Amino acid sequence: MSADSASVTVPEAVASGKGKDFSTIALIVGFIGLSLAGVGLLLGASQHNSRYAMSWLLGLSFWLSLGIGMLFLIMIWYVFDAGWPVIIRRQLEHGLAAMKWLALLFIPLILVSLFSGYPGLIWKWMDPSYSLPGGETVASDVLYQAKSGYLNVGFFIARVVVYFGVLVFLAERLRKVSFTMEQDGDVKWARQARILSAFGIIATALAATFAAFDWFMSLSYHWFSTMYGVWFFAASIRGATAAAVIICILMMQNGRLGGGLFNRGHRYLLGCMLLAFTVFWAYIVFSQYFLIYNANIPEETYWFNDRLFALEGGLSAWGWMLLGLVFFHFLFPFLNLLWYKTKVITSRLMFISAWIIVFHLVDLYYNIIPRQKTVEITDANPMGYVVSPVIYNGLDIVFDLAALVGVGGICVWAFLRSMKTVEVIPIRDPRIESAVNCHE
Amino acid sequence: MNAPTETTSEKKRVWGIIASFENAQDIYHACENIHQAGYEKFDSYTPFPVHGLEKASGLKRSKVPIFTFIGGITGFILGNLIVWYMGDFDYPLIVGGKPLYSPIFPFPVTYEMTILLAAFGTLGGMFLMNLLPQYYHPVFNHPDFKNATDDRFFVVIQRKDPKFEMNETFGFLEKLGATSVDYLPE
Repeated sequence: MSADSASVTVPEAVASGKGKDFSTIALIVGFIGLSLAGVGLLLGASQHNSRYAMSWLLGLSFWLSLGIGMLFLIMIWYVFDAGWPVIIRRQLEHGLAAMKWLALLFIPLILVSLFSGYPGLIWKWMDPSYSLPGGETVASDVLYQAKSGYLNVGFFIARVVVYFGVLVFLAERLRKVSFTMEQDGDVKWARQARILSAFGIIATALAATFAAFDWFMSLSYHWFSTMYGVWFFAASIRGATAAAVIICILMMQNGRLGGGLFNRGHRYLLGCMLLAFTVFWAYIVFSQYFLIYNANIPEETYWFNDRLFALEGGLSAWGWMLLGLVFFHFLFPFLNLLWYKTKVITSRLMFISAWIIVFHLVDLYYNIIPRQKTVEITDANPMGYVVSPVIYNGLDIVFDLAALVGVGGICVWAFLRSMKTVEVIPIRDPRIESAVNCHE
Repeated sequence: MNAPTETTSEKKRVWGIIASFENAQDIYHACENIHQAGYEKFDSYTPFPVHGLEKASGLKRSKVPIFTFIGGITGFILGNLIVWYMGDFDYPLIVGGKPLYSPIFPFPVTYEMTILLAAFGTLGGMFLMNLLPQYYHPVFNHPDFKNATDDRFFVVIQRKDPKFEMNETFGFLEKLGATSVDYLPE
């Protein structure tokens, strides 16, 4: 397949795009949100209140997970030389424009841990004097001592640099390769992207897995689960698929992907991927619960106990949230997506994708936010700790939303800005014809 | 080929009329026209999948997924019943401190039963909807039909179609650009 035969002309109305330019508004909204979330970060540091600071981590992880998922999707499509998603890939490449800004937005989390005078603000193992239940500190904790070769601040920062090095390099390189092919139409770029993706999938898998260990699992560093990295991958790629659906449908409706470019076939195939990753997410999340439940080892089960049971017995609010995830993040989307019509009717696919994105956020919230707070051991509470409530005092939710909107604003700004620089679909990609003529 | 005379139709009843086409475009448009003319009981045979042909022929989506779904639900319920019957009803025995019955620890049982019966449902549903097994089919009476796996495209309109009129349908197919039109004996 030569490059010349593989060019497609885009209708002018489609190529020019309609609608207003929202990128400046997105940037302003992003800065406002980030300022408010930054207030949360500093307030948390000054009041020694972790919950306010966690908002930043939550907001960042939500968008980062979508970015990582998009990176995976693009690379998987390249490796399989998939024809149909080529026009969708271009939209996700705009999403990858946000990766370098997400890397920048991680820096405040490290700065606040290093320089606020309260190193245990987010990751409590960073603070040797952090008091644990039962009167020990992190420094005297045998489990921490055993893990300190891995969990120490220097190595942590080095790893963060490596993770973002991998993610940003791949994101920028894949964008460049695809955008350059647009200009010179040379097929060598497609080959290069495929080779890059073959190695990139492994690199991103390792980066995402260890990033999930470092950023989320180490929040309760006594706990360990080998499924955790896979959970993050499954959640990310599922969220990214839902985001891809939403982006493409919005662009179809505002005319950029209109005129039958984003057609029924694309919707059907994206819907199928959404169904597949819904099942995959459930499989991974359930397997993690199932293995820990069946093995019944205290150093593993406590993580779920914290997230299931109230001190006085019975399900806690976190426990109800887990049940909610089972029924609303798995069962409902699963049964809904089994239906053929959900996958092809635009409004239904849009609804279920938005639903999945919202519950993806709940899933992250459930994994990141619950936190042990050391208290006096009493008869009423022999555990020596309480688990932070789902909603602390309302202000935490404000900071959560601020961080989500803030990081989101930056991502949307990067997306819209990238969209102006290049054709709406990769018109000189060797697979563009099969993408435009995609059918079920 | 002429319309069958009294004597041939007595010997062998006509099952349908078969038309052969040279390429995918021709059969695609032929199917469109046949569908628009209001025929329902017709089928096409092509050497490779012609995309969009099912839409051009006005075919509805397959009913097989319904069988899959019913199979899956049955498997899920059956799996839970097995676990409950063995662990809680027939021979209650506490193992590893687990409840006698819970959907969680024996989940692989229900999960595998769901998949197994969903697969059976798919297979059975496919056989049922395709009316398989069929040991005899009249299209194979056509001398050229083996070329449907090579370079020929066939359309057959069945006699039991309500719109079927022996001579009219024959002429209709001829007008669609078929290279040959023949009667298919039963």
